[in-house]
Amino acid sequence: MECVVQGIIEAQHVEALEILLQGLSGVPREHFKIHELCLKSGPNLGAVSSEVRLLCNLERPEPSWTVRHIGGAMRGPGAEQLSVLVRTTTESKVSKNALRFFYALGYKLDHELLKVGFMFHFHRVALITVTVTSTNKMPKLHVIEEAIPVTPGMQLVEVSAPATADNYNEVVAAVSSFCEYLAPLLHLSKPGHLTGLVPTVAAAAASLMSKGSGQVL
Amino acid sequence: MATENVQGQAQAQAQAQVQAEKLNQALQHQLNLEGVRTRALDLFNTISRLLEIFDPISRANPNLRKWQDILGQFSMVNLELFHIVEEVKKVSKAFVVHPKNVNAENSTILPVMLSSKLLPEMESEETSMKEKLLHSLSHLPVSTQIERLKSRIDMIAAACDGASKAIADARKAYGLGSRQVPSMVPPIDKVQAAKIQEQEKLLKAAVNVGDGLRIPGDQKHLPSVLPAHLVDALSSGDGVHPKNPQAISTNNIGTQGTAIQNSYTQFGGRSVPSPSGGTSSIDNTSASPLPYANSPRSGTGMMNVPSPQQQSQQQQQHQRQKLMQLPQHQQQLISQQQLRQSASPGLSQNAVPQLHDFQVQNQQKFQQLHGQHQAQFSQPQSHQQLQNRPLQSAHIQHNIGQSQMSQANQLRSHLGQYTGTASTALFNAAQASTNSQMMPNMPAAISSQSILPRMQLGQRSHPSQMLNEQMFNMGATNSANMAQMQQQQQFGGVLTNTQNLQQGLVNLQNPQNSNYPQQRQPQQ
Repeated sequence: MECVVQGIIEAQHVEALEILLQGLSGVPREHFKIHELCLKSGPNLGAVSSEVRLLCNLERPEPSWTVRHIGGAMRGPGAEQLSVLVRTTTESKVSKNALRFFYALGYKLDHELLKVGFMFHFHRVALITVTVTSTNKMPKLHVIEEAIPVTPGMQLVEVSAPATADNYNEVVAAVSSFCEYLAPLLHLSKPGHLTGLVPTVAAAAASLMSKGSGQVL
Repeated sequence: MATENVQGQAQAQAQAQVQAEKLNQALQHQLNLEGVRTRALDLFNTISRLLEIFDPISRANPNLRKWQDILGQFSMVNLELFHIVEEVKKVSKAFVVHPKNVNAENSTILPVMLSSKLLPEMESEETSMKEKLLHSLSHLPVSTQIERLKSRIDMIAAACDGASKAIADARKAYGLGSRQVPSMVPPIDKVQAAKIQEQEKLLKAAVNVGDGLRIPGDQKHLPSVLPAHLVDALSSGDGVHPKNPQAISTNNIGTQGTAIQNSYTQFGGRSVPSPSGGTSSIDNTSASPLPYANSPRSGTGMMNVPSPQQQSQQQQQHQRQKLMQLPQHQQQLISQQQLRQSASPGLSQNAVPQLHDFQVQNQQKFQQLHGQHQAQFSQPQSHQQLQNRPLQSAHIQHNIGQSQMSQANQLRSHLGQYTGTASTALFNAAQASTNSQMMPNMPAAISSQSILPRMQLGQRSHPSQMLNEQMFNMGATNSANMAQMQQQQQFGGVLTNTQNLQQGLVNLQNPQNSNYPQQRQPQQ
């Protein structure tokens, strides 16, 4: 299971966000370049098609593959009160023939995208991962070099933390409290909800970027 | 002279002593003595009332103390006291408390009140600070010391002023003056907000669902140059031209006729008549299944005893190579799965001798294989056993098996490279699953193409047999398998394979297809 929230930030403020995250997390930022292939199962694998995502990490010279399945989100009145989405996920490292394997099983490529950006991975009550990425699409199949951003001026921020059925409450609390620190710059919410921009973002970003007595709210 | 003795203490004893002389009127007015007196009296009354109320309660019933109320009352009292003290402070400098006499009341408190000595901690703190400050100046004359200290004080004051000014300026500049959202921030106009919302929808839809990222079908062909990581991922490993990684899969997708034709081609001939222009894995198909065509292909997945060896050794080698190249990982994976799953004992004894029989070139490999297989695979890969396998694994295995079958010829030589058990297990699994459980999914043809060694086995497919079968099973099997195997073009559906297989099987009777291994046929 994982707890996840998403938000958007304008590309001009990404640097300020990075400074803020650097200060809050205390770990160095890591580059993030992932080619995500989303596969949908064919009719031979059941009446309801399932989706599986293959992530190829292109950051290192040696690409590494991960398979990921995103399950259903937690439902109910309790879940609605949470500001964080809790959903089941399964992830695993796989070898590089995973794509062929899934094709052989009957999965078809549904869509693919390339995410480029940076991420912070740290522990703050829970193991939190914050990724700030520009999402790119590839007009031609698999041609990464020609990827163009889906929304040029806007980047996606995702804060996620793994959880189990026992401790998801604490993880949710940890993620929410962390998100409050980011409140001056962006508003984070469940992936399905629209957030809009925060009015204080310009001021907060300016203060973060200033070399003087800039003070984060 | 008696002075006004107004005590603003909490134990207020509002003793407004009437003195003999009246103070200056102005001073009196300033002091507002009457007001303060009234207040003090009120406070005194309130406190005494509260004490009266709370004391019996707390004594009688300690649990019933309502702290909330008590705190509320206390805060009120506190406020009153505060006001009184404020009032008194204004003029307290002008007056000094001077007790006229010491009596039991104030004997304890008077020394403390009158002393000007600091408390011990405060005293030590003060001395240490003094030390620090004056240490550097102690040698100088006093006046200079004073000068220096003054300058220091001035500097510090100036720094503090500067800092507070800078903070105030920054707050104004950034609109961070208050904790609330500054109202001076101009609200984003509606057009802007709409644009932003639209962009946001686009982005989130793309990331979460994939809207806007799907390429229409006609453009879904792979590019000529793939990025490096995808070349690895999609390469078939059997020497298929990297620029056309789909070849293998397309081969399978191919129509029914293609498989047949493919089966006829030799290894080198990668010409795949199928529209997909598939690979050559079909090349090595031989006509081996044909002699056994009478056995019901659409059968129940019985693994037929293989036909006599029809394949040439050369073909075997080729086939082996091809077979091994592609589904290496899958083979291992599946074989391992199979190994774990199969609980049945080893191979049939018949298989062993037969195994050696036709595996002229692959003796080494098969020896290790069959030895291992024996341990792991039940001899009679009977329907029951096969059917007992979990359907899912069988399904997967079947697919893989199919692909393997197609690749069998090519990859034969590579069999030895992998753990024998793995390969054979893989094949067996594929075959078994194919036979037993794929019936609903797989056409009979597939099942019938069990990889049985050429030897006539009375039993179901022997793992090694299956191996051999796969090796030599080309044509329909291959095409079908390859289609399944390398679904780079997700053609999906076993049915196509089945048809191909069936077609291939039919054509295997062609003497030219001597390369075809004996296809797995349901045992009779």
